Amino acid sequence: MKLPQGGKSELTFVGSLFLLGALVFWDTWRIELPAFNLTISPKVFPYAIATILMVLSALLMISILRGNTATPEGLDVGDPIHKTDLKSFGLVFGSLLAFLLLIERAGFIIAASITFFGITVAFGNKKHGRAAIFGTLFITVVYLSFTRFLNVQLPAGIFKGL
Amino acid sequence: MSSFNSLMEGFASALTLSNLGFGLLGTFLGTLVGVLPGIGPALAIALLLPITYTVSPASALIMFAAIYYGAMYGGSTTSILLNTPGESGSVITALEGNKMARRGQAGAALATAAIGSFVAGTIATGILAFTAPSIADLAIKVGAAEYVALMLVAFTTVSSLLGASQLRGFIALAIGLVLGLVGADLQSGLARLTFGSDAALEGIETVPVIVSIFALGEALYIASRFKDEGWKVIPMKGRALMSREDWKRSWKPWIRGTFLGFPLGVVPAGGSEVPTFLSYSIEKKLTKHPEEFGHGAIEGVAGPEAANNANAAGALVPLLALGLPTSATAAVILVAFQTYQIQPGPTLFLTNGALIWTLIASLFIGNALLLILNLPLVRFWVKLLHVPRPYLFAGIVTFALLGAYAINTSVFDVQVAIAIGLVGFLFRRFGMPITPLILGLILGPNLELQFRRALQISGGDYSTLIASPLSKILYAVLFIALFTPVIARVMKKIRKEVTQ
Repeated sequence: MKLPQGGKSELTFVGSLFLLGALVFWDTWRIELPAFNLTISPKVFPYAIATILMVLSALLMISILRGNTATPEGLDVGDPIHKTDLKSFGLVFGSLLAFLLLIERAGFIIAASITFFGITVAFGNKKHGRAAIFGTLFITVVYLSFTRFLNVQLPAGIFKGL
Repeated sequence: MSSFNSLMEGFASALTLSNLGFGLLGTFLGTLVGVLPGIGPALAIALLLPITYTVSPASALIMFAAIYYGAMYGGSTTSILLNTPGESGSVITALEGNKMARRGQAGAALATAAIGSFVAGTIATGILAFTAPSIADLAIKVGAAEYVALMLVAFTTVSSLLGASQLRGFIALAIGLVLGLVGADLQSGLARLTFGSDAALEGIETVPVIVSIFALGEALYIASRFKDEGWKVIPMKGRALMSREDWKRSWKPWIRGTFLGFPLGVVPAGGSEVPTFLSYSIEKKLTKHPEEFGHGAIEGVAGPEAANNANAAGALVPLLALGLPTSATAAVILVAFQTYQIQPGPTLFLTNGALIWTLIASLFIGNALLLILNLPLVRFWVKLLHVPRPYLFAGIVTFALLGAYAINTSVFDVQVAIAIGLVGFLFRRFGMPITPLILGLILGPNLELQFRRALQISGGDYSTLIASPLSKILYAVLFIALFTPVIARVMKKIRKEVTQ
């Protein structure tokens, strides 16, 4: 049997949702209940959600196998589905990770400026120098307005004490 | 004390100089973010939440009401000039308003959208002010078992009305419920789905989830699929003004849209998509210029825009009176309230009466400020549409990450945000609707709480869930919504008409 375009990756996705349901089920099963007595166990709700998620994903997998694949957002039914541009995807994702790794080590200004620059590259901006300068300026203004005027704490990092 | 007196006191507290200042700032920022392409009101509000963290609750609410209306207004500007609706309620505006703009009537389209939103917002906020207290009075008598039924109805309508596939809607909901489970159980302290992480014990913060699923998910999705597609902003000539003829053709659709949008916001009908589509199809039937529909008819912008705004105000009724959000935007507002330690629900008018009346008064004020400020300033907003896409997305992403980190100054929330961003990407790629996930995350813990409360009162007897007449009616509604997709069929028909 031949699946429509994109069917295989969608099956993998929905399959992983089924596994998520199984994971919730297993986690609920293995935790020990507290000694005191509750009318309704804190396991009832998770069991129900896990079961619903597994049943629904199984139904959706059957439906996909019958050819009812999803229409990606922004496309119409029947439009050709292009492959994900992994390079741009990786650039965006890498920029997000850079923020995560740098925010407490190097401080907000550096972390966010790098993320800002990375995203402009991912979206095909060619004037890198201009993007880097503008991004750093923008982030510095944001940092100062949040910490000075709005009293929202952001890590100063290496600029600590300035 | 009567509603009227309370409302006057609300105005008194909202009209102090500093609070007016917060209102102005909110209007400005709300429009600024709302006008950016691809940002709907829900995301705009969520992105701007960190700004309100440290101001006093009253000022925060005022700013927030202004942000809310500003974001809605900004969104319609973008829909008209750029044809990129930020949310389902602006789809029609984008369709018909963009056609008007192409015919050189951008000014009239923007004006009818803004004035229509003002008219609808004012009437609807008025109805809200005088109905929400009595609905809250009724709601106090609603027991835990009926709450369970109400939430299940809201889940069902939102999951099955949005998007093309009921099954995918319910799966999205279930994933939201799973996210809501994470953390220590409030009653027993049992650690669920934390896998040994201490940070996870506190549960998953809702603000970073909402921001990331929209902002980070969209950035990943657009970068990897539609990077090279440009935007075409339609240049605006003249000013945002309407001719006498435009007024004559607009005012009836405004009123009809208002009275269509408000009630459909009060009942959980899955957000603003249904009322805006209905308004469009009604105006198409009633108009004297049917030939213009589909090519830029002013009625087709006036009606749906009014319906959209009235719908948003209507959604505040179940939100304030029952603590029940029925759309993504309402869900964000609920979260905003919770960050100010205000829990919407039947007792809200008793415990935080003064604050709520201040909020309602600020909705009136925000709405008026918007009209006064924005129609003359429209050229400035239009300039924002020319921000290059790489810079736009870079700004959105860094703001989203800032918000995620700042809520608890914790790296764990950033980790969650990035993971949710991936989920947002996958949801877009595989056609899963996002709103059910957000509702599941926010309402899931509440559903469990009420569910247990009901069963504790009954001593574990499950029949208590369907014992009262109200519960029986609600479950009947639920089954109708589930198994006779009447509304879905109507929507499909209208959608077809619209696109033809």
